[in-house]
Amino acid sequence: MTIGIPKALIYWKRPYFWQTFFKELGFKVFLSCQTNKKVVEMGVRVADPETCFSIKVFFGHLLWLDKKCDWIFIPRLKTNEQRLEYCPKFFGLPDLAKILVKTPILTETFDEKKEKFEGSVERLGAKLNKNKKEVKKAIEIAFLEEKKTKEKEEKEFFEKIQSKKQKIILISHPYNLYDDYVNLRIKEKLENLNAEVIFINQISTESKPCLSASKNQKRLSGWPKFHWEFGQEIMEQIQEILKYNISGVVEISSFQCGCDAVLREFVEREFKKRKIPFLYLLIDEQAGEAGIQTRIEAFMDTIK
Amino acid sequence: MKATFPYWGNYTIAFKALFKKLGVDFIAPEKSSQRSVGEGVKISPEMYCFPLKVNIGDYLAAIRKGADTVFMVTSSKGSCRLRYYGDIQEKALIENGHNIDFIILDQNPKDIYKKLKKNSGASFFQIIKAFYFFYKKLGFIEWLERKAQYIRPRELKRGEVDRLLDNTFEKLDKINNFRGVSKFKKEIKREIREIGTEKDKIVPKVGLIGEIFTVTDGAINFDIEKKLGREGIEVHRDMDISYQLKKSVFPWKDWIIQRKIIPYLKSTVGGHGRDAIYEMLNYIKEDFDGIIHLLPFGCMPETTVRPILEKIHKENGIPFLSLSLDEQVAEVGINTRIEAFVDVVRNYHKTRC
Repeated sequence: MTIGIPKALIYWKRPYFWQTFFKELGFKVFLSCQTNKKVVEMGVRVADPETCFSIKVFFGHLLWLDKKCDWIFIPRLKTNEQRLEYCPKFFGLPDLAKILVKTPILTETFDEKKEKFEGSVERLGAKLNKNKKEVKKAIEIAFLEEKKTKEKEEKEFFEKIQSKKQKIILISHPYNLYDDYVNLRIKEKLENLNAEVIFINQISTESKPCLSASKNQKRLSGWPKFHWEFGQEIMEQIQEILKYNISGVVEISSFQCGCDAVLREFVEREFKKRKIPFLYLLIDEQAGEAGIQTRIEAFMDTIK
Repeated sequence: MKATFPYWGNYTIAFKALFKKLGVDFIAPEKSSQRSVGEGVKISPEMYCFPLKVNIGDYLAAIRKGADTVFMVTSSKGSCRLRYYGDIQEKALIENGHNIDFIILDQNPKDIYKKLKKNSGASFFQIIKAFYFFYKKLGFIEWLERKAQYIRPRELKRGEVDRLLDNTFEKLDKINNFRGVSKFKKEIKREIREIGTEKDKIVPKVGLIGEIFTVTDGAINFDIEKKLGREGIEVHRDMDISYQLKKSVFPWKDWIIQRKIIPYLKSTVGGHGRDAIYEMLNYIKEDFDGIIHLLPFGCMPETTVRPILEKIHKENGIPFLSLSLDEQVAEVGINTRIEAFVDVVRNYHKTRC
């Protein structure tokens, strides 16, 4: 039995967890290929023309996986452990995937307002005919794996923040940050221009987002209480990074991303208030690499 | 304090009545036009959805007349961007040099009551009375709209019902007491009976589904109801304010909807995503001849459900047209698409008769 996981969008929310989890349960895990032009084109053809670029890429991966495995795993992510919601476009993904592919979809709802994460995973295990004991063991190992990579990232962050090069913060969702085709190899481009690139999600915040979000938050911090998991997180990571000396900030968002339309307003204000150079880049299926290169070069020149 | 609020189709009359009864000094919003929308677009975030830009355009017109406080209803339960409307609008206006207070009302009775009491100084009894009056006018407007949808394709003299509609809304705006509204309703009932119609005419029926603001506001959707009516098509829509009010007070409507659409979508997607699927399935069951789906460009819930609506359309063969509206859309373009769609609907209707 092979379980296919599209390597886009929700995969990047928990990149190592699901892989390890299914492997521990004795399944073969089959990841879709790196994003390339063909994958994106496939996705654009089937997706609704008005949904965001990231969803289109996801559908491309999904079609690539079709008929290559026995199951395709697409979780329905609703709320995370802090009871903050994911993007509403994730809620309908398994249903939309069912329309597109013939391979059966393996799905489970993860709504931590109603049920703990472990409970949902156990139900997922039951669907695969695994008993609770096996599932529990697999969860533990998967969590350990996840923790290891997180610690590695943290270490990397502290190394990077101490470097003498110009430090550029990349703000975006993980599915834009880690997918090199989607973000037009922006990290590489910035590094070629002699900058140290730090991803926003490498920054760890001490406080838990839910606890610090109080009713009067808007008056205190200048941004409303976000109900999106990334909203609260990104704003707090920004507060953390502002303690260090940074040279500039680049925000990437996919075209037609509804959440970013809200978030951008407040992210931009945080940096403009402190007179830190800020560049906002939109990415879409047209992928004009030359245009991005020019803008990044111009941006780096303003910093110097 | 001079209050203002966003324009919302014919329902603006009901909102005006509410503020008048509360004793709040207010400036009524003007009808959204190409010009006001253009102004709103200029200062609002580019990637945001269309209704926000329209609202900002309305505020700007009112601000020029001297308004300094905006009442805005958002929802703190939903999953879509409506949640941040108040915050973003406030930010956009303040950054452009308009010093303005925002009073953001949540979609639950307790919050609305508290904030209205604080800001208007009205007594409990007065607020209840104001809401009752609001609801009465709202009911009247919605009833008349529904009547007009039925009469338009059947009337003998074209445009008669639209003229009646315009006159009625103008007069209704001036009525200030409960008894006046009831009396006026009786009068209008009589006038409607006097409109010459072909009673037995069988006309094709089209259902309007989609996002509530674009579906109900004639200023935004280029009076799509009237256009279809004049082409001899009976329009139906479930979406209106009282539907939304009922849904926010009684949660079980959502549960019913979820149970009905389970083969297509197993979860909420925010906004009125589920409602669109439910309504479409309902209209198909009631033997309609076409579905028109209206949405603001890039609306998160509606774009998520659109592939599902298209799937239903393919399964059942019912004509389906999805129109995304934003500041770039021209009326002529919409007209052409509607005309083509009307032809399809008529053919579909004929083949089934």
